[in-house]
Amino acid sequence: MSAERQSVLRVLLILAVTTLGTAPGNAGAAASPPTNSGQNLAIIVNQSNPVENLSSTELRRIFLGERSHWPNGRRITLVMMQPGEPERDAVLREVCRMSEKDFNNHFLHGLFTGEVFASPKTLASPVGVRKFVFNVPGAIGYLRTSDVDASVKVVRIDGLLPSDRDYKIQVQARSAK
Amino acid sequence: MSEKTKDAAEHSTLRAIPLMRIVSGLLARNSYTLLLLLVFGIEVGVGVFVIRDLHTADVEAQRMYAGSVLGLRRIGELQYQAQETRRSTLYALTTNDSNLQVEYADQSREADRRVTDGIREYVEQARIAREVDLGKRLERDWSAYLHVRDEVLASILEGSTREAVQFDLTGGVPSFERVRQDLEEVKRLYDEQASERLAIVAGSSHRSAGRLIAVLGFTLLFASTSIWAIQRSKMMGAVQLAQLQMDFVASVSHELRTPLAVICSAADNIADGVVEGKEQLTRYGVVIRNQTRQITELVNDILLFASAKDREIRYKLRPLQVQEIVQSVIENTAELVRGSGFVIEQHIAPGLPYVMGDLSALSQCLQNLIVNAVKYSGENRWISVRAVLDHAQSRLHKEVRISVQDRGIGIASSELPHIFEPFYRSPAVIATQIHGTGLGLPLAKNIAEAMGGKLTVDSQLGAGSVFTLHLPLIEEAQLHRAAVVSGLDQLQKQ
Repeated sequence: MSAERQSVLRVLLILAVTTLGTAPGNAGAAASPPTNSGQNLAIIVNQSNPVENLSSTELRRIFLGERSHWPNGRRITLVMMQPGEPERDAVLREVCRMSEKDFNNHFLHGLFTGEVFASPKTLASPVGVRKFVFNVPGAIGYLRTSDVDASVKVVRIDGLLPSDRDYKIQVQARSAK
Repeated sequence: MSEKTKDAAEHSTLRAIPLMRIVSGLLARNSYTLLLLLVFGIEVGVGVFVIRDLHTADVEAQRMYAGSVLGLRRIGELQYQAQETRRSTLYALTTNDSNLQVEYADQSREADRRVTDGIREYVEQARIAREVDLGKRLERDWSAYLHVRDEVLASILEGSTREAVQFDLTGGVPSFERVRQDLEEVKRLYDEQASERLAIVAGSSHRSAGRLIAVLGFTLLFASTSIWAIQRSKMMGAVQLAQLQMDFVASVSHELRTPLAVICSAADNIADGVVEGKEQLTRYGVVIRNQTRQITELVNDILLFASAKDREIRYKLRPLQVQEIVQSVIENTAELVRGSGFVIEQHIAPGLPYVMGDLSALSQCLQNLIVNAVKYSGENRWISVRAVLDHAQSRLHKEVRISVQDRGIGIASSELPHIFEPFYRSPAVIATQIHGTGLGLPLAKNIAEAMGGKLTVDSQLGAGSVFTLHLPLIEEAQLHRAAVVSGLDQLQKQ
């Protein structure tokens, strides 16, 4: 649990840094549309997937491998980008609320104990992620909004789309690290 | 129609007649050349026809070949892409790397898109019901396979290899086999269609060959028949000519032999001293002179005809009065007519206009007619010479007609077409021992035509004959010109 706490602290620290990093004059920065350095991250599923909306909790469970099937009976396949990619970092931070190490440990542990049925698939590029989700009906992954196209479906998180104002999952630019 | 137009039309008809003569002469003289030209023309026509036919067949064969090749290539491409779709899907099984698996999935989808497009194109271009059915079946089977393929790909990407293999074995293999069979059938259909087209082209080619043989055969037959006909006609002409010449030689010999026998006999009598006294000698001299004159006239006739045939005679045409011509003839034949006890009835219409001609030639022409009248009059010793202006004709066609009529034996209608042929003598005439060379009438006809006129005959067997010399009238301008020339001649003589 200490690791979880540590990761929470780390996230808080990053948030604080991010908040501090925005100038006092830019009080409305959170409301402003995402820039190149900080885009919203869309959660994508296969077009055949009937799911339209997920809560933050459901999303977290899915990304932690704690939920194995969609409501239509399809097996859930989690698609992640390679470690170190900003998108992966954003998901670990905003959705899983874990560090990279904790995330890996979680899956190792889960697979060992049988709580988790399959480890995430790792793709090297956003295009790979998109194609994977396109090919696999039960796949779920994430992409920057600029990488999304019609071959995949973006699901709402807590009723919000990435273009919505209060959407929470954002990618931070590398320079911001 | 106005008078002027009528005249112009008649004038052009007049001009057309010599042209037709020239054309018919050319045709007669160059029959072989014309035949060769005709055969050549037919051959060229056949050649063009055959070349065009062969070209069409060639184009059709090329089109058929191109269509078949294109179709088979398209089907070959479809087969390859279908295999590629399946192959790429199965390649994804060989790795655990999701990135590679996605790449293979991508390749599989690329290939399947090409197959789908190819099948759609095939269905769109399908014409016959069998093609349409086959295209739709192929579309259905391919779609079924793709559905299985998607499941297989999904399973592979999810990491469920066993599931993927199971999907492929239970669904993928049979559905892909159906697609393969469909494509094979499409290929077979292409082959069948190509064979049918080939049969059509072959049939067309056979028809072309048949036509070629038929047309060439016809041309050959036509050419052979034409050559045979011309040869035969020429041979018959030559035989006829030779026969005529033989008849002529016989006739001339006969004509010569009689006076020669008389001369010979007279000469023998003189030489043997049988002739006594001046009076008897004079009588013998007259006989010899008369016989010699007869021979000379005969020889002159032959020479005249021969030269006329060779077109060596150059007539001196000048305006002549009809009276002058008739007078000359009557004088020339007076002795013969009187000697034979004939009466010549003359009727020359008054005020006859001038005609253009050569006096001695026209005189010879009419003389021949009178001599014939004397020869063939039998017991009825009456001859009529009439000269009239033909009023029935139009102004341009006005002519003077000089006719010599007798009431003699006449000419059978079957003989009429031949009497103007050189050396021709009617068998009936030969049988009655009337001597002649068969040159008198042809010569008279030649002269009449050389003067721009013609010689016609109207005869009835047993009732007599009328030979008419038609001479065109001289025009005012010609008369004036002739008068000027004649004046100049007289001046030159002075």
